[in-house]
Amino acid sequence: MFKKLMTLLFVVLLGTQAYALEIDLRNPQVEPLPIAVPAFQAENAAAQQVAADISRLVVQDLTGTGLFREIPPNAFISQVSSFTQPIAYPDWRAVNAQGLITGAVTVNGNQLVVKFRLYDVFAGTELGQGQQLVGTVDGWRRMAHKVADAAYSRITGEGGYFDSRVVFVSESGPKDNRQKRLAVMDYDGANVQFLTDSSAIVLAPRFSPNGDRVLYTSFESGFPRINVLNVANVGRQQLATAPGEMAFSPRFSRDGRQVIYSLANGGNTDIYRTDLASGQHVRLTSAPSIETAPSLSPDGSQIVFESDRSGTQQLYIMPANGGEARRISFGEGRYGTPVWSPRGDLVAFTKQNAGRFHIGVMRTDGSEERLLTSSFLDEGPTWSPNGRVIMFSRETQGAGGTSAMYSVDISGRNLKAVPIQGGASDPSWGPLQP
Amino acid sequence: MQTPGTIISAAGHTVLIGWLLLGWGLSSDPLEFDTMVVTTVSGEEFAALQAASTPDPGTAEPTAPVQPVTDTAPPPPADETPTEVAPPPEPVEQPVEDTPPPPPPPAPPVAEVDDVPPVDPAPPAPPPARPDLEISERPRPRVTDTIAPVPAAPPPPDAAPDEIARDEVVQDETADREIIEDEQEATAPPEAETEIAIADETPSGAVETSIRPSARPSRPAPQVEEAVEEPTEEPLTAEAETPVEPETDDAVAAALADALAGAGETATPEAPAVAAGPPMTGSEKDAFRIAINNCWNIDPGSEAARVTVTVVFELGRDGKVVGNPRLISGSGGTDASINVAFEAARRAILRCQGSAGYQLPPEKYEEWREVTANFDASGARY
Repeated sequence: MFKKLMTLLFVVLLGTQAYALEIDLRNPQVEPLPIAVPAFQAENAAAQQVAADISRLVVQDLTGTGLFREIPPNAFISQVSSFTQPIAYPDWRAVNAQGLITGAVTVNGNQLVVKFRLYDVFAGTELGQGQQLVGTVDGWRRMAHKVADAAYSRITGEGGYFDSRVVFVSESGPKDNRQKRLAVMDYDGANVQFLTDSSAIVLAPRFSPNGDRVLYTSFESGFPRINVLNVANVGRQQLATAPGEMAFSPRFSRDGRQVIYSLANGGNTDIYRTDLASGQHVRLTSAPSIETAPSLSPDGSQIVFESDRSGTQQLYIMPANGGEARRISFGEGRYGTPVWSPRGDLVAFTKQNAGRFHIGVMRTDGSEERLLTSSFLDEGPTWSPNGRVIMFSRETQGAGGTSAMYSVDISGRNLKAVPIQGGASDPSWGPLQP
Repeated sequence: MQTPGTIISAAGHTVLIGWLLLGWGLSSDPLEFDTMVVTTVSGEEFAALQAASTPDPGTAEPTAPVQPVTDTAPPPPADETPTEVAPPPEPVEQPVEDTPPPPPPPAPPVAEVDDVPPVDPAPPAPPPARPDLEISERPRPRVTDTIAPVPAAPPPPDAAPDEIARDEVVQDETADREIIEDEQEATAPPEAETEIAIADETPSGAVETSIRPSARPSRPAPQVEEAVEEPTEEPLTAEAETPVEPETDDAVAAALADALAGAGETATPEAPAVAAGPPMTGSEKDAFRIAINNCWNIDPGSEAARVTVTVVFELGRDGKVVGNPRLISGSGGTDASINVAFEAARRAILRCQGSAGYQLPPEKYEEWREVTANFDASGARY
C-alpha cells in the first residue's frame, strides 16, 4: 500500500509541469482609435460625387467624437477597388488601422442605396454584418450619419448620436435688441430650419422623446406661456397649464404624454404636471421656496429639480409624483438647470461659482461631481441621445457678446463649438431618428 | 454477610475490570504494531524508492542513494545482484550499446578513446602514445573519411553542451559523482574531461595527430558520456528496478517502471534546462505587461471602461499569438460593454505583438506559453 502511494505521488509530481502566466493590466491608453475609411465605391456614374461626400461625412462624424482618428488615405497600402473584394488585413495592419469601413453607393434617379461593412483589422474579422440603407439623394447626410452611427455603436458598444437633431433658439441682432427664433438643425449644425418667426421672444425649447413635438416658452402674450409645436407641420398651440401667473421650463415625460413644468403664483413657484390628453394638473411640490427646472429620470420614477429652499440654489431629487425631496448638490456656489442623463447614472447641471459658470455632471446621489467647462457664461446643458455628449450655450462677455452652442464629451474632452451661422442658445438634443 | 460478599464481589469486579482494561490495551497494541510492521516492511523498498525519487532535480535526497551504495554496496553484489556487480567490468560493453544515446559530456570520450584502442591492442598503447603518433596517422585517412561527415557537425554542439552538462551534474548531486568515480575510476573520468576540453578546441586547431584520436573518441564519447551520466541514474534506476520487478508482479511494477523511465528522461541535462528553468522575473513580466498595455486603448467615458475582462491566449515559441484570444470572464457591465472591452483587449494583444512577436525569455517558454490577462480599465475612468 505504501509503495502504491509513493508510486502515485511520484507519478503526480512528474505530471505537474504545467505553467501559466497571469498578468494584470490596469492603465489603458486613452487615445483616438485609428480607423481607415477608403472612399466608398460608386457603383454607377451618378453616385460618384455622393459616394465621396458620404465617406467624408462618415469620417467627420467619427473623428468629431474625439474617439477616432482617421488614417489619411494617402497612407493606404491596399486600395479597395470593389466592395466585395476580400480584405487584405496585413496591409491595413501595416498602417495601424484598427477599424476599417468599406462601402458602396448606388444612385438610381433620386434613390440612394448605401452598403457598408465594418472590420476589426487586427482580429481579422468583420464586426457585425454588412448593412444596406435605402433613401433619397437629398437625404445623403442622414445616410452617412447612419453609417457612422452603426460603426460607432459597433466599436464602442454604445448607441450613436449622429443621426439626430437639435432644437435651439437662433439669435440675431445686438444684445439689447436680440431677435430669437426657434430652429432645428442636425447635430453637426447642418440643415438649419426655422420653426417660428422672430415676432415674439421664445425660450427654452425642449424636444419630445420621439422628436415629433417641441415644447417652448413664449412671451407672445407678454407673460411666459408654454407652447407645443408640431415639428412636421410647424403647427402650434398653447399648453393648458394649471392657472397661474407664469408657466415656464417645461419638459415632456418619457412617454411624451405629460408635461412637467414650473408655475409661478403670488411669488411662489412650484412644479406641476399636466396630462396632455386629459388636461389634468397635479401639483408636485408645495414649498414656499422656488422650485423649478424639473427633469425626469429615464425610468420616469424620479424628478431632479432646482430649489432655493436651503437659502441658495441647489439640486434636489424627489419621487415623480411628489413627496420628500433629498438634496444632492453640496458644493460651493449655485446649481441650476439639472438634466437627467439618458443612461440614468448622471445629472448634468449649470454651476455658478466665484463669478464663473460651469457645466458639470454628478452622480444621482450627488457624488463624483465633475465640472466639464468654465467660462464667463455657460448654461443650459442637454444630453446626446446616448448620454455621451453634452451640448450647452456659451455667451461671451460684453455688450457685443454673442451666444453660441458648444458640445463636450462627458469625460471633459473634445470641447468644441457647433458650427452654425449666427448666434444660438438653449439647445435641446432630440432622439436618434428612426 | 454482606461485608465479605461485597468484598469478594468488589475484588472480583476489580480483577475483571482490570483484566478488561488490560485486554483492551493489548488488543489495541497489536493494531498499532500492524501499522508499524507495514513501515518496516517498506524499509527494504524504501531505499529503492528513494533512489528512484532522487532523480528529481528538486529533491535533495542524494543521501538515500549514497547509503545503499556505501552500506549495501559490498553485500548486495555478492548476494542479490551479481548482474549489477558485472556492470563494473561491463563498462566496456555498456558504452558500446549505449553509444547511440545523447552525447552531452564529450570529456570522458577521449579518455575512453585512449583506453579503447589501447585496451584491445595492449595497455602499453598509452605510454607509447607519442611514438604512436605516427601510427595514429594511419587511422587519419580512414577515420577522417567516415568521421569527417558525421562527427564534424556534432563537435561544436558537443562543446557547448559539455559545459552545461557539467554544471548541471555538479548542481544536481555531488554524491553521484563520487559514485561515478568509483565505477569509472578505471576509466579516469577526470583525465577525460581535461583532455576533452583540449580535444574540443584542438579539432579546429592545427594539431593533426591529436585530432585523429579525438575524432574517434567522438563515437565512444557518447559512451563515456552515458557512462558518466548513467552512473548517476544507474545506481538509482538499476537498484530501483531490480527490486521492484521481483517483489511486485502486479501493475504497480509497470507503473513504477514507467515512472522511473520518465524520471530517467527528466533527469537528462537537457530536459531540466528547458522546462524547469528559473521562473520569470518581475521585470520580465512587467516588460510583457507593458508591451500589451501600450496597445490597450479604451474610451474612458464608455461603459466598457467600467468592465473587467479576463482574456486567455497562447503564444508560440516565437512570441507570437497562436489562434485568437479567448474571453474567459467579464464583470461590471452589460454583455455589450463586456464584449467591447474584450475586443479592445484582443486588439491590444494582437496589435502589440508586432511582426516579431513578444520579446520573452525563450528558455522559459513553458511558463509563458499560455497567458491569462486581466484587463481592468477602472484606472482610466475620467
